[in-house]
Amino acid sequence: MSDELPILDVSGLAELRASVGDDENFVRDLVGTFLAEEPNNLELVAAAAARGDAEAVIRPAHTLKSSAAAIGAARLSSICRQLEFAGREGRSGDLAALTEEARAAWAATVEALRAQGLAT
Amino acid sequence: MGGHGGGAARTGTRDLSGVALIVDDSAVNRMLLVRHLASLGIDAREAVDGKSALESLRGQSADLAVVLLDVVMPEMDGYEVLAAIKSDEALRHLPVIMISGIDELDSVARCIELGAVDFLPKPFNPVILGARVRASLADKRLRDLEAESAAAQARLLATIERQKEELSRFLSPQVAALVSSPEGEQLLAGHRREATAVFCDLRGFTSFSDSAEPEEVLGLLREYHKQMGELIVDHGGTLEHFAGDGMMVFFNDPVPQPDHVARAVRMAVAMRDRFATLAARWAKLGYELGFGVGIATGFATLGRIGFEGRYDYGMVGAAVIVAARLSAKAEANQILLNPRAHAAVEELVEVEDVGALELKGFARPIPTVNVRGLVASAESVPA
Repeated sequence: MSDELPILDVSGLAELRASVGDDENFVRDLVGTFLAEEPNNLELVAAAAARGDAEAVIRPAHTLKSSAAAIGAARLSSICRQLEFAGREGRSGDLAALTEEARAAWAATVEALRAQGLAT
Repeated sequence: MGGHGGGAARTGTRDLSGVALIVDDSAVNRMLLVRHLASLGIDAREAVDGKSALESLRGQSADLAVVLLDVVMPEMDGYEVLAAIKSDEALRHLPVIMISGIDELDSVARCIELGAVDFLPKPFNPVILGARVRASLADKRLRDLEAESAAAQARLLATIERQKEELSRFLSPQVAALVSSPEGEQLLAGHRREATAVFCDLRGFTSFSDSAEPEEVLGLLREYHKQMGELIVDHGGTLEHFAGDGMMVFFNDPVPQPDHVARAVRMAVAMRDRFATLAARWAKLGYELGFGVGIATGFATLGRIGFEGRYDYGMVGAAVIVAARLSAKAEANQILLNPRAHAAVEELVEVEDVGALELKGFARPIPTVNVRGLVASAESVPA
């Protein structure tokens, strides 16, 4: 289902750029912050999933979902949303597969950001 | 170059001051919000979780105008922070705007029930952010103005109290209170009422003041005014003026006194007694002075009399003139009453008839009595 969503949502990125007056340096800094801060949340999700701790998945999945959406990382955001809901509903059986999806989406997102010239 | 480009960006918030506190654990979201607020001319502080948000709020909140609050956070979530803000007397006035993703509308509704004023949807739209934050800044400005105005009002009240105290040294206490009362203006503007006027002065004062040293004259007057002044206050009289040895006092205004004639007569009798003590002492110094009083009751006009820069609270009417003339006619130790005053206190006083007096300005003679004293049963009753 998440595969249908683009790794980077072009219209979302365009809106972001427009909202900051097409300040490309700022967008690059924002992406830099994303790449610096969010791996921690991805690791927290993975660790909680590995323990089967649905409750502990919720908060980092929520934050990663929100940050990813802000920079137009549509697929990663969507997978994190599924993780958050699996966590809320206590579906610990779904966590491992979703975490794998999230890792793959993370790598693809970094790749796409580089392709856009937003990451090094 | 580009002279008209610079001004256009500076719109809106120049007149609104205040800082926003952003509480969100997503560094990306904080960075975006700081940027959007900066473009609106609004400074921001950041907190990465609920606990540090509360620490920041309790440390420094005077300049804060609004809190932008995420719901899902580590340590202490948005609900807890909101509840803490709303239960803290010093913080509860702060508007809290919830930051919310599309999935969180249910929790936002709950937050609004808990006291949040609004919510800000993600992704952030700078126009909506600007509108909501500006509304909060305007609220803060209003709140600050209210607080300023309350403080100014308190200062004003303190000033009025001080002026009242100061005034009461110059005016009779009733008039000082009247000037500061809500109905004061109406009463000052003038009204008609039955009132009792009392004039008193010293017999032999003119020749005394011609022959005595000025210091002696002033010293004697000061003692006389002090003693008489106490009795005026004790009996609730309104002192209109002192003029040398003369005094005019009236009753039943501005504070209504159903027993105004009795008060006037009791005061006059007390003054005569007090004067006797003073006179005995002055006699030893060689001063022969007597005390005479005229009292008249009648309808009169009362209110502000005078001119811009110098007003008195005064009584105008025939009764005032009659009282003045009776005082002038009175021999030492006489307290003369007009018929209307006498009729009101017949039960209270022992009088002697002094006949119908011809008074200047009055066509017919006025039947007058002199008060010898209070009847025995009336002496102990307080005025």
